[in-house]
Amino acid sequence: MNEVSLLYNYLLVGGLLFVLGMIGFLVRRNMIVMFLCTELMLQGVSLSLIGFGRYHGSLAESVASKIQTGPWGGQMLVIFIIAVAACEAGIAMALVLMLYRQSGTLDAAFWQDLREETLPAFVDREVPEEQQVDRVWPRLTPAGVEPAIDPDELLHRPRV
Amino acid sequence: MRPFTIPALLAADLPALKEICSCNSFWAILVGSLAVWVLLPNRVRYGKTIGGALAIVAAGLFASDWPLLGNWTDQAVFWLLAGVTLGAGVCMICSRSPVYSAIWFALSLTGTAGLFFYNGAQFLGVATIVVYAGAIVVTFLFVIMLSQPEGHSAYDRISWGWFPKTFSVVAAATMVALLTFLLGNLRGAAAVPTSAAALAASESHLTAPGALLDRNHMANVGRHLFGEHLISVEVAGTLLLVALVGAVAIAVQGKPRLATRIEEAMR
Repeated sequence: MNEVSLLYNYLLVGGLLFVLGMIGFLVRRNMIVMFLCTELMLQGVSLSLIGFGRYHGSLAESVASKIQTGPWGGQMLVIFIIAVAACEAGIAMALVLMLYRQSGTLDAAFWQDLREETLPAFVDREVPEEQQVDRVWPRLTPAGVEPAIDPDELLHRPRV
Repeated sequence: MRPFTIPALLAADLPALKEICSCNSFWAILVGSLAVWVLLPNRVRYGKTIGGALAIVAAGLFASDWPLLGNWTDQAVFWLLAGVTLGAGVCMICSRSPVYSAIWFALSLTGTAGLFFYNGAQFLGVATIVVYAGAIVVTFLFVIMLSQPEGHSAYDRISWGWFPKTFSVVAAATMVALLTFLLGNLRGAAAVPTSAAALAASESHLTAPGALLDRNHMANVGRHLFGEHLISVEVAGTLLLVALVGAVAIAVQGKPRLATRIEEAMR
Protein backbone atom coordinates (compact mmCIF):
# COMPACT_ATOMS: atom_id res chain seq x y z
CA MET A 1 0.00 0.00 0.00
CA ASN A 2 1.30 3.46 -0.85
CA GLU A 3 1.89 5.12 2.52
CA VAL A 4 1.98 8.69 1.22
CA SER A 5 -1.35 8.26 -0.56
CA LEU A 6 -2.80 6.75 2.59
CA LEU A 7 -1.72 9.74 4.67
CA TYR A 8 -3.11 12.11 2.05
CA ASN A 9 -6.46 10.32 1.97
CA TYR A 10 -6.74 10.23 5.75
CA LEU A 11 -5.95 13.91 6.09
CA LEU A 12 -8.62 14.73 3.51
CA VAL A 13 -11.29 12.60 5.19
CA GLY A 14 -10.34 14.06 8.58
CA GLY A 15 -10.52 17.60 7.24
CA LEU A 16 -13.90 16.99 5.63
CA LEU A 17 -15.30 15.53 8.85
CA PHE A 18 -14.02 18.51 10.82
CA VAL A 19 -15.57 20.93 8.37
CA LEU A 20 -18.91 19.10 8.44
CA GLY A 21 -18.94 19.38 12.21
CA MET A 22 -18.10 23.06 11.97
CA ILE A 23 -20.98 23.74 9.58
CA GLY A 24 -23.36 21.87 11.85
CA PHE A 25 -22.18 23.73 14.93
CA LEU A 26 -22.60 27.10 13.28
CA VAL A 27 -25.92 26.40 11.56
CA ARG A 28 -28.00 24.19 13.83
CA ARG A 29 -29.88 25.68 16.76
CA ASN A 30 -30.71 22.57 18.75
CA MET A 31 -28.18 22.50 21.60
CA ILE A 32 -27.87 18.71 21.57
CA VAL A 33 -27.17 18.65 17.84
CA MET A 34 -24.55 21.36 18.39
CA PHE A 35 -22.75 19.14 20.90
CA LEU A 36 -22.99 16.17 18.53
CA CYS A 37 -21.29 18.36 15.93
CA THR A 38 -18.39 19.10 18.28
CA GLU A 39 -17.96 15.35 18.71
CA LEU A 40 -17.86 15.04 14.90
CA MET A 41 -15.07 17.63 14.79
CA LEU A 42 -13.13 15.61 17.38
CA GLN A 43 -13.51 12.55 15.16
CA GLY A 44 -12.00 14.45 12.24
CA VAL A 45 -8.99 15.41 14.35
CA SER A 46 -8.61 11.82 15.55
CA LEU A 47 -8.56 10.55 11.97
CA SER A 48 -5.76 12.88 10.94
CA LEU A 49 -3.77 12.00 14.08
CA ILE A 50 -4.09 8.29 13.27
CA GLY A 51 -2.97 8.97 9.70
CA PHE A 52 0.05 10.96 10.85
CA GLY A 53 0.94 8.30 13.41
CA ARG A 54 0.90 5.57 10.79
CA TYR A 55 2.94 7.65 8.36
CA HIS A 56 5.63 8.69 10.82
CA GLY A 57 5.69 5.31 12.49
CA SER A 58 6.14 3.18 9.42
CA LEU A 59 7.73 5.25 6.69
CA ALA A 60 9.81 7.89 8.42
CA GLU A 61 11.25 5.40 10.84
CA SER A 62 12.62 3.12 8.18
CA VAL A 63 14.04 6.07 6.28
CA ALA A 64 15.66 7.81 9.25
CA SER A 65 16.00 4.59 11.30
CA LYS A 66 16.90 6.58 14.39
CA ILE A 67 13.59 7.33 16.03
CA GLN A 68 12.05 4.18 17.45
CA THR A 69 8.59 5.52 18.09
CA GLY A 70 6.35 3.34 15.97
CA PRO A 71 2.82 4.44 15.07
CA TRP A 72 1.83 4.79 18.70
CA GLY A 73 2.24 8.53 19.25
CA GLY A 74 -0.90 9.40 17.28
CA GLN A 75 -2.86 6.59 18.87
CA MET A 76 -1.94 7.77 22.38
CA LEU A 77 -3.24 11.24 21.54
CA VAL A 78 -6.50 9.76 20.25
CA ILE A 79 -6.97 7.75 23.44
CA PHE A 80 -6.75 10.97 25.44
CA ILE A 81 -9.10 12.68 22.98
CA ILE A 82 -11.66 9.96 23.67
CA ALA A 83 -11.24 10.41 27.43
CA VAL A 84 -11.64 14.18 27.22
CA ALA A 85 -14.62 13.80 24.88
CA ALA A 86 -16.32 11.57 27.43
CA CYS A 87 -15.81 14.23 30.15
CA GLU A 88 -17.07 16.91 27.80
CA ALA A 89 -20.18 14.93 26.90
CA GLY A 90 -21.03 14.33 30.55
CA ILE A 91 -20.72 17.97 31.57
CA ALA A 92 -22.40 19.22 28.39
CA MET A 93 -25.40 16.99 28.94
CA ALA A 94 -25.74 18.20 32.53
CA LEU A 95 -25.57 21.81 31.32
CA VAL A 96 -28.09 21.21 28.54
CA LEU A 97 -30.49 19.55 30.94
CA MET A 98 -30.18 22.49 33.35
CA LEU A 99 -30.74 25.01 30.57
CA TYR A 100 -33.73 22.98 29.36
CA ARG A 101 -35.20 22.93 32.83
CA GLN A 102 -34.97 26.71 33.05
CA SER A 103 -36.21 27.57 29.58
CA GLY A 104 -38.33 24.62 28.47
CA THR A 105 -36.67 24.58 25.07
CA LEU A 106 -33.47 23.31 23.50
CA ASP A 107 -33.31 26.33 21.23
CA ALA A 108 -29.99 28.17 21.43
CA ALA A 109 -31.71 31.37 20.27
CA PHE A 110 -33.63 31.44 23.56
CA TRP A 111 -30.45 32.63 25.25
CA GLN A 112 -29.82 35.50 22.88
CA ASP A 113 -30.48 37.96 25.71
CA LEU A 114 -26.84 37.34 26.60
CA ARG A 115 -25.68 39.13 23.44
CA GLU A 116 -24.01 42.53 23.29
CA GLU A 117 -26.25 45.51 23.77
CA THR A 118 -25.51 46.95 20.34
CA LEU A 119 -26.38 43.80 18.41
CA PRO A 120 -29.89 43.45 16.97
CA ALA A 121 -32.10 40.60 18.13
CA PHE A 122 -32.50 37.53 15.96
CA VAL A 123 -36.10 37.14 14.84
CA ASP A 124 -37.53 34.01 13.24
CA ARG A 125 -39.27 34.49 9.93
CA GLU A 126 -41.18 32.09 7.72
CA VAL A 127 -40.74 28.87 9.64
CA PRO A 128 -41.43 26.11 7.09
CA GLU A 129 -44.44 23.92 7.82
CA GLU A 130 -43.97 20.43 9.12
CA GLN A 131 -43.95 18.20 6.05
CA GLN A 132 -46.26 15.24 5.96
CA VAL A 133 -43.35 13.05 4.84
CA ASP A 134 -41.55 13.67 8.11
CA ARG A 135 -44.53 12.54 10.13
CA VAL A 136 -44.63 9.02 8.76
CA TRP A 137 -43.47 6.58 11.42
CA PRO A 138 -42.38 3.03 10.75
CA ARG A 139 -44.94 0.29 11.31
CA LEU A 140 -44.00 -3.02 12.84
CA THR A 141 -45.40 -6.11 11.19
CA PRO A 142 -47.64 -7.97 13.63
CA ALA A 143 -46.29 -11.32 14.76
CA GLY A 144 -48.10 -14.20 16.44
CA VAL A 145 -51.74 -14.41 17.44
CA GLU A 146 -53.48 -11.37 18.82
CA PRO A 147 -54.56 -12.12 22.38
CA ALA A 148 -58.20 -11.79 23.34
CA ILE A 149 -58.81 -8.62 25.34
CA ASP A 150 -60.16 -9.13 28.80
CA PRO A 151 -62.82 -6.45 29.49
CA ASP A 152 -61.87 -6.27 33.18
CA GLU A 153 -58.26 -5.58 32.30
CA LEU A 154 -59.45 -2.87 29.98
CA LEU A 155 -61.30 -1.19 32.82
CA HIS A 156 -58.34 -1.23 35.16
CA ARG A 157 -55.58 -0.39 32.74
CA PRO A 158 -57.13 1.58 29.90
CA ARG A 159 -53.81 2.42 28.34
CA VAL A 160 -52.37 -1.04 27.83
CA MET B 1 10.60 21.78 6.40
CA ARG B 2 9.16 24.97 5.10
CA PRO B 3 7.98 27.50 7.68
CA PHE B 4 4.22 27.65 7.77
CA THR B 5 3.52 31.38 7.74
CA ILE B 6 1.38 33.67 5.68
CA PRO B 7 4.31 35.16 3.69
CA ALA B 8 5.56 31.66 2.95
CA LEU B 9 2.09 30.76 1.77
CA LEU B 10 1.94 33.80 -0.45
CA ALA B 11 5.44 33.17 -1.77
CA ALA B 12 4.48 29.63 -2.75
CA ASP B 13 3.54 29.02 -6.33
CA LEU B 14 -0.08 30.07 -6.50
CA PRO B 15 -2.02 28.12 -9.08
CA ALA B 16 -3.18 29.89 -12.20
CA LEU B 17 -6.87 30.21 -12.99
CA LYS B 18 -6.59 27.62 -15.72
CA GLU B 19 -5.07 25.11 -13.33
CA ILE B 20 -7.83 25.77 -10.80
CA CYS B 21 -10.55 25.29 -13.39
CA SER B 22 -9.08 21.99 -14.58
CA CYS B 23 -8.81 20.69 -11.00
CA ASN B 24 -11.56 18.26 -10.03
CA SER B 25 -11.22 19.05 -6.33
CA PHE B 26 -12.18 22.66 -6.97
CA TRP B 27 -15.43 21.68 -8.65
CA ALA B 28 -16.01 19.04 -5.99
CA ILE B 29 -15.73 21.65 -3.23
CA LEU B 30 -18.03 23.99 -5.13
CA VAL B 31 -20.70 21.36 -5.79
CA GLY B 32 -20.32 19.89 -2.30
CA SER B 33 -20.84 23.19 -0.52
CA LEU B 34 -23.89 23.86 -2.68
CA ALA B 35 -25.22 20.41 -1.78
CA VAL B 36 -24.75 21.00 1.95
CA TRP B 37 -26.38 24.41 1.64
CA VAL B 38 -29.44 22.92 -0.03
CA LEU B 39 -29.61 19.99 2.38
CA LEU B 40 -29.50 22.07 5.56
CA PRO B 41 -32.89 22.85 7.11
CA ASN B 42 -34.52 25.53 4.96
CA ARG B 43 -37.43 26.23 2.66
CA VAL B 44 -36.03 24.88 -0.60
CA ARG B 45 -38.51 22.52 -2.28
CA TYR B 46 -37.22 19.03 -3.08
CA GLY B 47 -34.13 20.07 -1.11
CA LYS B 48 -33.28 16.52 -0.10
CA THR B 49 -33.41 15.15 -3.65
CA ILE B 50 -31.42 17.98 -5.22
CA GLY B 51 -28.90 18.05 -2.37
CA GLY B 52 -28.42 14.28 -2.41
CA ALA B 53 -27.79 14.25 -6.15
CA LEU B 54 -25.32 17.13 -5.86
CA ALA B 55 -23.56 15.41 -2.95
CA ILE B 56 -23.13 12.22 -5.01
CA VAL B 57 -21.68 14.26 -7.88
CA ALA B 58 -19.30 16.02 -5.47
CA ALA B 59 -18.19 12.71 -3.95
CA GLY B 60 -17.42 11.31 -7.41
CA LEU B 61 -15.47 14.42 -8.40
CA PHE B 62 -13.50 14.36 -5.14
CA ALA B 63 -12.73 10.65 -5.39
CA SER B 64 -11.42 11.08 -8.91
CA ASP B 65 -8.81 13.52 -7.64
CA TRP B 66 -7.52 11.62 -4.61
CA PRO B 67 -4.31 9.61 -4.90
CA LEU B 68 -4.87 5.92 -5.42
CA LEU B 69 -3.69 3.39 -2.88
CA GLY B 70 -2.25 1.06 -5.48
CA ASN B 71 -4.36 -2.01 -4.86
CA TRP B 72 -8.00 -2.22 -6.00
CA THR B 73 -9.15 -4.09 -2.90
CA ASP B 74 -7.55 -1.56 -0.59
CA GLN B 75 -9.04 1.23 -2.65
CA ALA B 76 -12.57 -0.19 -2.60
CA VAL B 77 -12.51 -0.79 1.16
CA PHE B 78 -11.19 2.69 1.81
CA TRP B 79 -13.80 4.34 -0.40
CA LEU B 80 -16.56 2.34 1.25
CA LEU B 81 -15.46 3.36 4.76
CA ALA B 82 -14.83 6.99 3.86
CA GLY B 83 -18.16 7.16 2.03
CA VAL B 84 -20.06 5.80 5.02
CA THR B 85 -18.29 8.19 7.39
CA LEU B 86 -18.76 11.33 5.32
CA GLY B 87 -22.26 10.49 4.07
CA ALA B 88 -23.49 9.81 7.59
CA GLY B 89 -21.84 13.06 8.70
CA VAL B 90 -23.73 15.03 6.06
CA CYS B 91 -27.00 13.33 6.98
CA MET B 92 -26.32 14.06 10.65
CA ILE B 93 -25.99 17.81 10.28
CA CYS B 94 -28.92 17.96 7.86
CA SER B 95 -31.61 15.84 9.53
CA ARG B 96 -34.47 17.75 11.15
CA SER B 97 -34.97 15.42 14.07
CA PRO B 98 -32.25 15.32 16.77
CA VAL B 99 -32.92 11.62 17.31
CA TYR B 100 -32.07 10.92 13.68
CA SER B 101 -29.02 13.16 14.08
CA ALA B 102 -27.77 11.05 16.96
CA ILE B 103 -28.33 7.81 15.05
CA TRP B 104 -26.57 9.13 11.95
CA PHE B 105 -23.73 10.18 14.23
CA ALA B 106 -23.50 6.63 15.53
CA LEU B 107 -23.25 5.38 11.92
CA SER B 108 -20.55 7.94 11.19
CA LEU B 109 -18.67 6.71 14.27
CA THR B 110 -18.89 3.17 12.97
CA GLY B 111 -17.30 4.33 9.71
CA THR B 112 -14.57 6.11 11.66
CA ALA B 113 -13.91 2.96 13.66
CA GLY B 114 -13.59 1.08 10.37
CA LEU B 115 -11.05 3.65 9.18
CA PHE B 116 -9.13 3.17 12.46
CA PHE B 117 -9.06 -0.58 11.85
CA TYR B 118 -7.95 0.02 8.29
CA ASN B 119 -5.00 2.07 9.50
CA GLY B 120 -3.83 -0.52 11.99
CA ALA B 121 -5.32 1.04 15.14
CA GLN B 122 -7.39 -1.92 16.29
CA PHE B 123 -7.61 -0.90 19.95
CA LEU B 124 -8.87 2.55 19.04
CA GLY B 125 -11.44 1.12 16.64
CA VAL B 126 -12.92 -1.02 19.39
CA ALA B 127 -12.66 1.83 21.91
CA THR B 128 -14.49 4.18 19.53
CA ILE B 129 -17.36 1.75 19.10
CA VAL B 130 -17.59 0.92 22.81
CA VAL B 131 -17.08 4.39 24.29
CA TYR B 132 -18.63 6.63 21.65
CA ALA B 133 -21.34 4.59 19.98
CA GLY B 134 -22.07 2.59 23.10
CA ALA B 135 -21.95 5.23 25.81
CA ILE B 136 -21.87 8.79 24.53
CA VAL B 137 -24.52 8.41 21.84
CA VAL B 138 -26.79 6.61 24.30
CA THR B 139 -26.34 9.52 26.72
CA PHE B 140 -27.31 11.92 23.97
CA LEU B 141 -30.37 9.84 23.13
CA PHE B 142 -31.41 9.82 26.79
CA VAL B 143 -31.23 13.59 26.99
CA ILE B 144 -33.07 13.99 23.70
CA MET B 145 -35.87 11.75 24.89
CA LEU B 146 -36.03 13.55 28.23
CA SER B 147 -36.37 16.93 26.66
CA GLN B 148 -37.81 16.56 23.17
CA PRO B 149 -41.31 17.87 22.54
CA GLU B 150 -43.53 15.98 20.14
CA GLY B 151 -42.81 16.44 16.44
CA HIS B 152 -40.08 18.61 15.01
CA SER B 153 -39.70 21.90 16.80
CA ALA B 154 -39.58 25.11 14.84
CA TYR B 155 -35.94 25.75 15.60
CA ASP B 156 -35.06 22.41 14.03
CA ARG B 157 -36.99 23.12 10.86
CA ILE B 158 -35.39 26.51 10.33
CA SER B 159 -31.79 27.29 11.12
CA TRP B 160 -30.27 30.66 11.90
CA GLY B 161 -31.38 32.21 8.62
CA TRP B 162 -29.59 32.57 5.34
CA PHE B 163 -26.60 34.64 6.43
CA PRO B 164 -24.87 32.34 8.94
CA LYS B 165 -25.76 29.30 6.86
CA THR B 166 -24.29 30.67 3.66
CA PHE B 167 -21.19 31.98 5.30
CA SER B 168 -20.45 28.88 7.36
CA VAL B 169 -20.70 26.81 4.18
CA VAL B 170 -18.42 29.27 2.37
CA ALA B 171 -15.94 29.18 5.26
CA ALA B 172 -15.98 25.41 5.24
CA ALA B 173 -15.37 25.30 1.49
CA THR B 174 -12.45 27.72 1.88
CA MET B 175 -11.00 25.60 4.63
CA VAL B 176 -11.19 22.41 2.56
CA ALA B 177 -9.71 24.22 -0.41
CA LEU B 178 -6.78 25.49 1.67
CA LEU B 179 -6.21 22.03 3.14
CA THR B 180 -6.27 20.45 -0.30
CA PHE B 181 -3.89 23.07 -1.62
CA LEU B 182 -1.45 22.53 1.26
CA LEU B 183 -1.70 18.78 0.90
CA GLY B 184 -0.89 19.08 -2.76
CA ASN B 185 2.37 20.68 -1.69
CA LEU B 186 2.88 18.04 0.94
CA ARG B 187 2.41 15.34 -1.64
CA GLY B 188 5.19 16.91 -3.69
CA ALA B 189 7.42 17.46 -0.65
CA ALA B 190 6.97 14.01 0.80
CA ALA B 191 8.16 12.41 -2.39
CA VAL B 192 11.53 14.20 -2.19
CA PRO B 193 13.19 12.45 0.79
CA THR B 194 11.50 9.19 -0.03
CA SER B 195 12.99 7.76 -3.15
CA ALA B 196 11.28 4.84 -4.85
CA ALA B 197 13.91 2.47 -3.53
CA ALA B 198 13.44 3.71 0.04
CA LEU B 199 9.70 3.35 -0.32
CA ALA B 200 10.03 -0.21 -1.58
CA ALA B 201 12.51 -1.01 1.19
CA SER B 202 10.18 0.42 3.79
CA GLU B 203 7.27 -1.59 2.48
CA SER B 204 9.19 -4.85 2.40
CA HIS B 205 10.36 -3.98 5.89
CA LEU B 206 6.74 -3.58 6.94
CA THR B 207 5.53 -6.77 5.38
CA ALA B 208 8.27 -8.87 6.92
CA PRO B 209 6.48 -10.96 9.55
CA GLY B 210 9.09 -10.65 12.25
CA ALA B 211 9.31 -6.87 12.00
CA LEU B 212 5.55 -6.52 11.97
CA LEU B 213 5.18 -8.56 15.10
CA ASP B 214 8.13 -6.92 16.71
CA ARG B 215 7.20 -3.28 16.37
CA ASN B 216 3.64 -2.97 15.22
CA HIS B 217 2.00 -5.43 17.53
CA MET B 218 -0.98 -4.01 19.40
CA ALA B 219 0.57 -5.00 22.72
CA ASN B 220 2.82 -1.97 22.31
CA VAL B 221 -0.19 0.27 22.98
CA GLY B 222 -0.18 -0.82 26.61
CA ARG B 223 3.57 -0.45 26.89
CA HIS B 224 3.47 3.09 25.56
CA LEU B 225 0.34 4.10 27.46
CA PHE B 226 1.61 2.96 30.84
CA GLY B 227 5.26 3.72 30.13
CA GLU B 228 5.86 7.05 28.48
CA HIS B 229 2.37 8.39 29.07
CA LEU B 230 1.80 7.20 32.63
CA ILE B 231 1.41 10.69 34.07
CA SER B 232 -1.01 11.60 31.31
CA VAL B 233 -3.09 8.55 32.17
CA GLU B 234 -3.22 9.67 35.79
CA VAL B 235 -4.19 13.19 34.77
CA ALA B 236 -6.88 11.86 32.44
CA GLY B 237 -8.27 9.74 35.25
CA THR B 238 -8.39 12.76 37.54
CA LEU B 239 -10.08 14.75 34.80
CA LEU B 240 -12.75 12.07 34.45
CA LEU B 241 -13.38 12.14 38.20
CA VAL B 242 -13.61 15.93 38.27
CA ALA B 243 -15.97 15.90 35.28
CA LEU B 244 -18.17 13.32 36.99
CA VAL B 245 -18.38 15.35 40.19
CA GLY B 246 -18.95 18.53 38.22
CA ALA B 247 -21.74 17.01 36.13
CA VAL B 248 -23.54 15.79 39.26
CA ALA B 249 -23.07 19.16 40.93
CA ILE B 250 -24.49 21.02 37.93
CA ALA B 251 -27.44 18.67 37.61
CA VAL B 252 -28.29 18.98 41.32
CA GLN B 253 -27.89 22.73 41.42
CA GLY B 254 -30.32 23.27 38.56
CA LYS B 255 -33.09 21.60 40.50
CA PRO B 256 -35.09 23.75 42.93
CA ARG B 257 -34.57 22.71 46.52
CA LEU B 258 -36.99 20.39 48.23
CA ALA B 259 -38.06 23.03 50.76
CA THR B 260 -38.87 25.48 47.95
CA ARG B 261 -40.90 22.89 46.10
CA ILE B 262 -42.90 22.02 49.22
CA GLU B 263 -43.50 25.69 49.88
CA GLU B 264 -44.75 26.20 46.35
CA ALA B 265 -47.02 23.19 46.61
CA MET B 266 -48.51 24.46 49.86
CA ARG B 267 -49.24 27.85 48.46
